[in-house]
Amino acid sequence: MGTSFDISYVFDYFVKLLPYIRITLTIVGCSLLIGLGIGLLVALPRMYRIPVLQRFSQVYVSFFRGTPILIQLFLFYYGMPEMLKLIHIDVTKVPALYFVIFAYALHTGAFLSESIRGAVGAVDRGQVEAAYAVGMTGYQAFGRIVLPQALGIAIPVFANLVIAVLKDTSLAFSLGIMELTGKSQTLPTMSQHFFEAYLSLALIYFIISIALEKLFFAVERRLLRYEGDRDRDGRAASGRKWLNRRFSGRLELQKEGARP
Amino acid sequence: MIRLTQIRKSFGRNEVLKGIDLTVRKGEVVAILGPSGSGKTTLLRCINYLERPSDGEIEIGELRVKCKHPSKQEIHRLRGKSAMVFQQYNLFKHKTAAENVMEGLVVVQKVPKEEARKRSVELLEKVGLGAKLDAYPSQLSGGQQQRVGIARALALNPEVILFDEPTSALDPELVGEVLAVIRKIAKEGITMIIVTHEMNFAQEVANRVVFMDQGAVVEEGAPNELFRSPKEERTRQFLQRMTPEAVYSI
Repeated sequence: MGTSFDISYVFDYFVKLLPYIRITLTIVGCSLLIGLGIGLLVALPRMYRIPVLQRFSQVYVSFFRGTPILIQLFLFYYGMPEMLKLIHIDVTKVPALYFVIFAYALHTGAFLSESIRGAVGAVDRGQVEAAYAVGMTGYQAFGRIVLPQALGIAIPVFANLVIAVLKDTSLAFSLGIMELTGKSQTLPTMSQHFFEAYLSLALIYFIISIALEKLFFAVERRLLRYEGDRDRDGRAASGRKWLNRRFSGRLELQKEGARP
Repeated sequence: MIRLTQIRKSFGRNEVLKGIDLTVRKGEVVAILGPSGSGKTTLLRCINYLERPSDGEIEIGELRVKCKHPSKQEIHRLRGKSAMVFQQYNLFKHKTAAENVMEGLVVVQKVPKEEARKRSVELLEKVGLGAKLDAYPSQLSGGQQQRVGIARALALNPEVILFDEPTSALDPELVGEVLAVIRKIAKEGITMIIVTHEMNFAQEVANRVVFMDQGAVVEEGAPNELFRSPKEERTRQFLQRMTPEAVYSI
């Protein structure tokens, strides 16, 4: 850090880092996709109380929620080849990226299974009863009535998770993956302007996060369009409106109070 | 015709239904009255297996189901023969009024979409909601939601419509519109079983009134007889409590 701050490096690195967004988003996208599958599979035994599998999914979820993602990465990257060697499978030639995606997928799967379970549980029981009363089978009731409503409920949690995963992928650099963070470590080795590199790195993460947040807010609005304003006032996602009203109300009060 | 034979239901050790027999003829409107906890809603929910009876037999039309070990298919067919109107309306929240009415037709009875839509519009007009076809349940008042619920039940063209306290969750000023709709369809000869607390309504609309208490049928008969001169002491006490004028106008 012997060099003085130079803003031109921020722009320079910003542009140079941009291509590596692709790798970061690949990790995020793949692990979410696989994680969604895992999450659904793991949530089912707990939702339907299937005896032995239920315990397995509990253990899985608490392990991946209870240990840091960095340690999980190390365990998979260093531990799994050793384990597989015991059964004579050689994975030393498999690129590190696959291990990273695998670890993140299991990690997100654990969190997703919990939010799927929560969202399905949050759908009013009466909705299922109505579906049955109309004559639907269990699958029809789940697919046509419960799932669409659960998706709407799960979106805010899902959005948080996606953004968390996005930021967590920065740890993949510790296994030598050249994603955003990895690249930002190597870019300034010549110039020694590390601070500028980190600044542009932070900017990139921030911009992607904001974009994702906006995207999910739009999706949520679309999925929950059936909830009138009346209902939506109570929701955290539209708490903004409520806050605004509260806030402007208080301001008016103060103004009035100021008058003698 | 619907015939219930020796329907029993227990929650743990608590026996809620102690062997109920009830027969409802085609086109008959039967009102079930009784204090809360008497098992009347449970009985109604047993008819379409939203509640699993522990024992007994349910017969709707030609379908006869032994309640002890019914197959999935029997339950499914039983549900196909009845429709229910819920206390909390239970409209599908993510579907519009018209879609709510169509859903069963399209998904369960496999009616083509345009035809289902046409029928749905007809029925919503019939319950006075022709202008609310594309409104979501959250945009409707309680009374309007319940009328959609009734249209949804009618659409299925069931052997019997089960009403589970259809006006209990409504604001008092909205009760009238819902009762008016039920009255209207009762005249069309649709078989109905209504669990209700609206004594006047039961007296006016039902062909027969069943009084339940503590999981058993205490008394049943024509509404005029049962309301004017109940034979059982428990029925008399209940009716007295439910019609306050009688108490205060001493």
